[in-house]
Amino acid sequence: MIARVGLSNLVRPAHQLVRPSIVRALKTIPEPAGGIVGTVNDAYIVPSAQKLEGSYHWTSERLVAVGLVPLTVMPLAGGDFSATLDTALASLLLIHCHAGFQACIVDYIPKRVYGAIHSYAMMLLTFGTMVSGYGIYNLEKEDGLTGLVKKLWKA
Amino acid sequence: MFRSTLTQLTKIAAPHRFLATTAELAPRVKTFKIYRWNPDTPEKKPELQTYEINLNECGPMVLDALLKIKNEQDSTLTLRRSCREGICGSCAMNIGGKNTLACLCRIDTNTSKELKIYPLPHMFVVRDLVPDLTHFYKQYKSIQPYLQRDTVPEDGTENLQSVADRKKLDGLYECILCACCSTSCPSYWWNQQQYLGPAVLMQAYRWLIDSRDQATAVRKEMLQNSMSLYRCHTIMNCSKTCPKGLNPGKAIAEIKKSLAFD
Repeated sequence: MIARVGLSNLVRPAHQLVRPSIVRALKTIPEPAGGIVGTVNDAYIVPSAQKLEGSYHWTSERLVAVGLVPLTVMPLAGGDFSATLDTALASLLLIHCHAGFQACIVDYIPKRVYGAIHSYAMMLLTFGTMVSGYGIYNLEKEDGLTGLVKKLWKA
Repeated sequence: MFRSTLTQLTKIAAPHRFLATTAELAPRVKTFKIYRWNPDTPEKKPELQTYEINLNECGPMVLDALLKIKNEQDSTLTLRRSCREGICGSCAMNIGGKNTLACLCRIDTNTSKELKIYPLPHMFVVRDLVPDLTHFYKQYKSIQPYLQRDTVPEDGTENLQSVADRKKLDGLYECILCACCSTSCPSYWWNQQQYLGPAVLMQAYRWLIDSRDQATAVRKEMLQNSMSLYRCHTIMNCSKTCPKGLNPGKAIAEIKKSLAFD
């Protein structure tokens, strides 16, 4: 039947599986041709629900992004900008960047294809965020983020 | 030998009619470059084959040109087509860099420019302009695109719906699943194994907001992971390319909104 409808080339032995080739040098997990798991009439199986990776993650991303708007506008508009607000701006910006890079990793180094490399990338990102967090801590002990930008602006 | 009078009539009439139209016009020869790949010769790389067509002797749409090539020049050219009026979604392909239906796409009459035609991008190719949509259909099946209810109506007849509720489905139910939008989405290119893509997500939304459907909770839960829905980064290629003028990008945004505090 499968041969008759011309789909026999979809049912391939394991050695013929297609490797995604963004980076040929990296060892990737072979994917089934056409992404077809099971027979052609089975529905795609959705992963189990993880709200922390789903709606909670999305909503917190949006809240951080919306919160950043007034915090960015306030120092630019001039006037008093307290150290507390400056700390809030710096840490929200860090979270925002972390989420952005996280999305890049999920998009371009997906676990499905890169397996362990995906986890290493995530670890590297977490490490970078922690270093930046320490940097922000040091920065806030002195002039803060806005102070740094002012200095750079004048330099 | 028997020959129908109809055929004979056209044979007599044809020269006169052609004199009055095509023969007097200067030929407008347009170059078509069409993606060719044959699974029977896998060692041969895919290539663009050039065909030339006189637009005076061809219908206005790209599908007319493709069928003219298939009829008169190269019968091995393979493509899907059925209704030739934009209701079946078979002839979806990448024409001049844009995913659209060949039957709804006019041929650019500027003969100095060639027209390139490829199959839908980033899909496995079965042959020439025919992409493998099996996984796309499997994804569509996974969202359970049918009415689900726990209770039957009390009078035992129809599941009724108010005019306002029915109106919510406008702009969603018209989708013909041609896969133009999904295959124009970079997120779908990179992660089509797991990301459902705009076409399927729009249908997921169509069943989410149907007032007659009672499986909303299950439908929402299916999208609660990082891949199925949230790989959409509002690139909006989907809404830009849709040959039916629908807006899958908005439908996905509506799903995200309805899930936001779920």
